[in-house]
Amino acid sequence: MSNLLEIKNLQLEFGSGTNAVRVVDGVSLSIRAGETVCLVGESGCGKSVTALSIAKLIPTPPAHYVGGEIFLNGVDVLQMSKKSLREIRGGVVSYVFQEPSASLNPVFRVGRQIKESLKLHRPTFATDAEVIRLLKLVGIPAPESRINDYPFQMSGGMQQRIMIAMALASEPKLLVADEPTTALDVTIQAQILELLIDLKKRLGMSILLITHNLGIVGDIADRVAVMYAGQIVELSPALDLLRRPLHPYTKALMNSVPQIKGGPQRLQAIAGSVPPPGNYPPGCRFFPRCPTAQPQCEKTMPQLLEVEPNRWVRSLYVKP
Amino acid sequence: MSLLEVKNLKVHFPVKHGLFSRVKASVKAVDDVSFSIGPGETLGLVGESGCGKTTLGRAIVKLVEPTSGSVVFAERDIAKLSGRELRGVRRGLQMIFQDPVGSLNPRMTVEEIVGEALDIHKLAGDPATRRNRIRELLKSVGLNETHAERYPHEFSGGQRQRIGIARALAVEPELIVCDEPVSALDVSVQAQIINLLQDLQQERGLAYLFVAHDLAVVKHISHRVMVMYLGKVVEIGPAKAVVEEPKHPYTQALISAVPVVDPDSKRQRIVLPGDVPSPINPPSGCPFHPRCPIAQDICKVDLPPLREITPGHYAACHFAK
Repeated sequence: MSNLLEIKNLQLEFGSGTNAVRVVDGVSLSIRAGETVCLVGESGCGKSVTALSIAKLIPTPPAHYVGGEIFLNGVDVLQMSKKSLREIRGGVVSYVFQEPSASLNPVFRVGRQIKESLKLHRPTFATDAEVIRLLKLVGIPAPESRINDYPFQMSGGMQQRIMIAMALASEPKLLVADEPTTALDVTIQAQILELLIDLKKRLGMSILLITHNLGIVGDIADRVAVMYAGQIVELSPALDLLRRPLHPYTKALMNSVPQIKGGPQRLQAIAGSVPPPGNYPPGCRFFPRCPTAQPQCEKTMPQLLEVEPNRWVRSLYVKP
Repeated sequence: MSLLEVKNLKVHFPVKHGLFSRVKASVKAVDDVSFSIGPGETLGLVGESGCGKTTLGRAIVKLVEPTSGSVVFAERDIAKLSGRELRGVRRGLQMIFQDPVGSLNPRMTVEEIVGEALDIHKLAGDPATRRNRIRELLKSVGLNETHAERYPHEFSGGQRQRIGIARALAVEPELIVCDEPVSALDVSVQAQIINLLQDLQQERGLAYLFVAHDLAVVKHISHRVMVMYLGKVVEIGPAKAVVEEPKHPYTQALISAVPVVDPDSKRQRIVLPGDVPSPINPPSGCPFHPRCPIAQDICKVDLPPLREITPGHYAACHFAK
């Protein structure tokens, strides 16, 4: 088994019975050791729920795993006992979230919060020296004095570095970063992105980066999965996708964002808005908004097919 | 003849501390800012959080009280007006907010929300005209008549922003201050709102002060762009010139940091060290010098004034050429 992570046909619902709303519908995704995969999509497309499922972090109930398997290091996470789940959470797989100020505990010093992760996963290294090494790794200046700071004494960029240090404390095999730069300013965003690229090179871990910004994909990703309404609609090597998107949604998404080098021409907006979960059209879910839709698209749900080597597209009209 | 003329505007917030709430220091949110906007023009305003861009926008419509300086709109100084006179001038000056959820009253229908603007400025006339006027406004922002009876929670984010725009348009303003109007929206919906704002400008000759942190969006919609750092304007000029040939090192770094979709574009990202300093204690001299890659000794002492580098393109840097 060469894949570190293998999500197979994941299906997740919130609620039960007739009120059940399927938010993830048949997502399959794998990540090799050392590989960086970006999961791109708009709010409500199921990208964060998919990512949180990797450590089974979605509480059940209200969620139900209706089907599918998630193999992490060869073991199915969805079948794990609570004890083994505790070991992999923050161990094999670590998370960095969007809002660092909401993720850090405001009443504990940051050094202590990082040490907590060390105590759980690498008890022999739960020392100040190791905490300082981690802070240096994520580029915090004068770490010796910073370990005694409280989160509120740090800026947003610094707090996000602390979150990354905490995630790295257990030497994870997979780092899941859920919109790690969205809450930050542009210049700080660039710093954090450079840091992730640098850490990836030095530590060789796998990264699953979740974002709605196609712009940062080219900088860091090996492969990209584009999600729409609970499904992956395109899965491809990053550069191929950015140079030549195949799915109409991916194309529309790229055309609707103004480019810094672009001209003054009118933006090609996508009509309508993202359908709410539970209210998806029966055929292709992008059908009501698709500029190239055909009558067939309304009734037939397309499958995710390999149309070119390593390029998977869910569309009736993009064929091998 | 410009529509809005801002001169030496300062907005300082006192920081109170200790016994008797003595004023210890002040946050210089907007510090000596001057610019103008012509009729039908869009001025984009960019900067990172805490640079004072939102405060500046609010000071112009007088939602915050300016400390000193003048804001002349339609030949009247808003900074000195109050009460009825202010209300009269405000009719020409409206605002669209970032968060369409927070800026619409959840207990009012769309008709009441848009109609309130008409009532305040006594533009409604008899009930039938009022009704028609509201329907017309909704149509002009891409909503339809049936939406008038509904409440804000029944709409998507993009539609709510359209309601906010209809409310601003109700009084037929000449200038709209747009405070991050697309930042809270989904990527695919952003373009709809940007296109709508551009169409409305063409139809009605509106002027915009477009505040945002996304440089690509600002460049796309603006005629001129103004860049702020720590309460001061560091660069202002035609949109194309500011983005393609930025003169100030801060603008250069800001532009290089914008993520680009095209993987083959050649660019060197300039990563600035450190964070934005506190506006309570801004650095001496040029406020950007602690993070500036080309700072010299003079930058620590002398505050560089805005200089015209090429016609219409100003930058506040000792070394801008």
